[in-house]
Amino acid sequence: MTDYGVGIGWRPEIAGFVAGLPGLRFAEVVAESIHDHDDLPPGLAELRARGVAIVPHGVRLSLGGAEPVEPDRVRHLARAAERLAAPLVSEHIAFVRAGGVEAGHLLPIPRSREAVDAIVANVERTQAELSVPIALEPIAAVFDWPDNELDEGDFLTEILDRTGALLLLDVANVYANALNRGDDPAALFDRIPLERIAYVHVAGGAEHDGIYHDTHTDTVPPAVYDLVADLCARHRPPALMLERDGHYPPADDLRAELDAIAKSSGYPAVT
Amino acid sequence: MAYIAAASDTWGISGPTFLGYFAVAAVVAAIIAGIARRIIFAGPSDSTRLTLAPQQVAYLNGRENLAVYASLTGLRAAGVLTSGPGGTLQITGPMPAGLTPLDVAIYNAAGRGARVRDLNRDQWVRPALDQLKESVERTGYATTSSQRSIARLWALLPAAVVAVGVVRLLDGSRNDKPVGFLVPLLFFGAILALSALLYSNRSATYATAKALRKLRVDNQHLAPRMSPSYATYGASTAAMGVGLFGAASLYAMDPAFAAEAQIQRNLGTASGGSSDSSGGYSSSCNSTGGSSCSSSSSSCSSGSSCGGGGGGCGG
Repeated sequence: MTDYGVGIGWRPEIAGFVAGLPGLRFAEVVAESIHDHDDLPPGLAELRARGVAIVPHGVRLSLGGAEPVEPDRVRHLARAAERLAAPLVSEHIAFVRAGGVEAGHLLPIPRSREAVDAIVANVERTQAELSVPIALEPIAAVFDWPDNELDEGDFLTEILDRTGALLLLDVANVYANALNRGDDPAALFDRIPLERIAYVHVAGGAEHDGIYHDTHTDTVPPAVYDLVADLCARHRPPALMLERDGHYPPADDLRAELDAIAKSSGYPAVT
Repeated sequence: MAYIAAASDTWGISGPTFLGYFAVAAVVAAIIAGIARRIIFAGPSDSTRLTLAPQQVAYLNGRENLAVYASLTGLRAAGVLTSGPGGTLQITGPMPAGLTPLDVAIYNAAGRGARVRDLNRDQWVRPALDQLKESVERTGYATTSSQRSIARLWALLPAAVVAVGVVRLLDGSRNDKPVGFLVPLLFFGAILALSALLYSNRSATYATAKALRKLRVDNQHLAPRMSPSYATYGASTAAMGVGLFGAASLYAMDPAFAAEAQIQRNLGTASGGSSDSSGGYSSSCNSTGGSSCSSSSSSCSSGSSCGGGGGGCGG
């Protein structure tokens, strides 16, 4: 995959800010915010025309569900990738519905062999419809299921090996998980295939009652930038992007965060 | 065979001949009134060079009330304004730098606990609004009342044609002549005359209207359906959003404040065209800084990246 450098999550609320980033070459858009029978949201087509690679990021496929992925949702993701001429798509290793009940949240799946089989089957069903690679993103979890058979590294590696999928690594939730479990965040880097990382999410969080929440609505803590630098020292991913999902700060603060990602990764600043 | 005026024809003109003259006269009169409007309301010759400030845009799009809303939006985005009980305003910080005269007047009025709907009549806001009006009229961005009067005079031309038709209708009926074709034609003429009068009441010159259309296209990211983050864009851009897309923009950016301050939601959206507040692409998590995702209609359920192991918006 080509090196794209520092990117940002395109969100409608900050579309004007994203459009004004002169050096931007990589952005991600929530796949479900693109409607099949509607024009692309204002600004996305312009970014595309500027040569910015835009990756549709699915949040509702429920790849980790016990039941097969819904074909309509897979088709929608594939269609979004085609319309954006995206180099890849991404989704979560998580489930959002079970037995017809919508959770409204990304929920962690138990790290069992059975769960690996289910998610591999769903990823393969999705890949069959896609004309571009898919990157899978493990989610932040403030708890572990009691019946985990595999540790996080083995679990991810097995899913990636069996599906041939790429990895979307969220450094902020690697940090969150390690902090909440009392582990060393960088330890996971030794356990997963870093060369399979398609891109990296960098996001902020906040600590409440001793638990670090990967909120994406707060500033990125300095320790997360350190983790970015650590990761890039081992194997620098082709793209690293700021993922902010709400409580958007002033433009200068967003620029400072983008610059900090550039500095930690050694990629040129996009601001 | 040509119609020959018979002695019994009303005014000595045959019905079909009059109908033809009438229709032509009505259309020509409407065209002349339209050309007159084009000339009177032309505005600055090069619309691409117009530099419109947010409150000027608001004034041109929704007159004084929208200018006040644009100013409120800027002050709110600067973090110095909040709403009090009963649609009143309160200030929450020192006066920021770079304010317009209208901002200063509204900031001071808010310091006295003024209500939003009374702002237009405030002793300091009133002169600031007059000054804004004067600035957009002097530069040719807005039409002046004398220009509108002249345009209305030209609009009397199609009205006069209709008046002649009405007299003919009355005379004709009195002479027991058939008037069945004249009635719909009069109706048509009346519509032309009425539109000429309505178009004479425009607030932005044609050059400005063109500049506003371009601004709306260039600033689609500020449309209400994008739920623009005014914290990110800053005070001036937030005010521009309200100026271009109306009060619905303020509701999209800051619904609690807009509702408490009793902002009229529809103001300035009618002429916006594309500024609908329905649908929307919003995908954000709770914007009040909490760690959990908002459960409002446009958030997680519509496909955001909210969620994540109970850890809030992590994905």
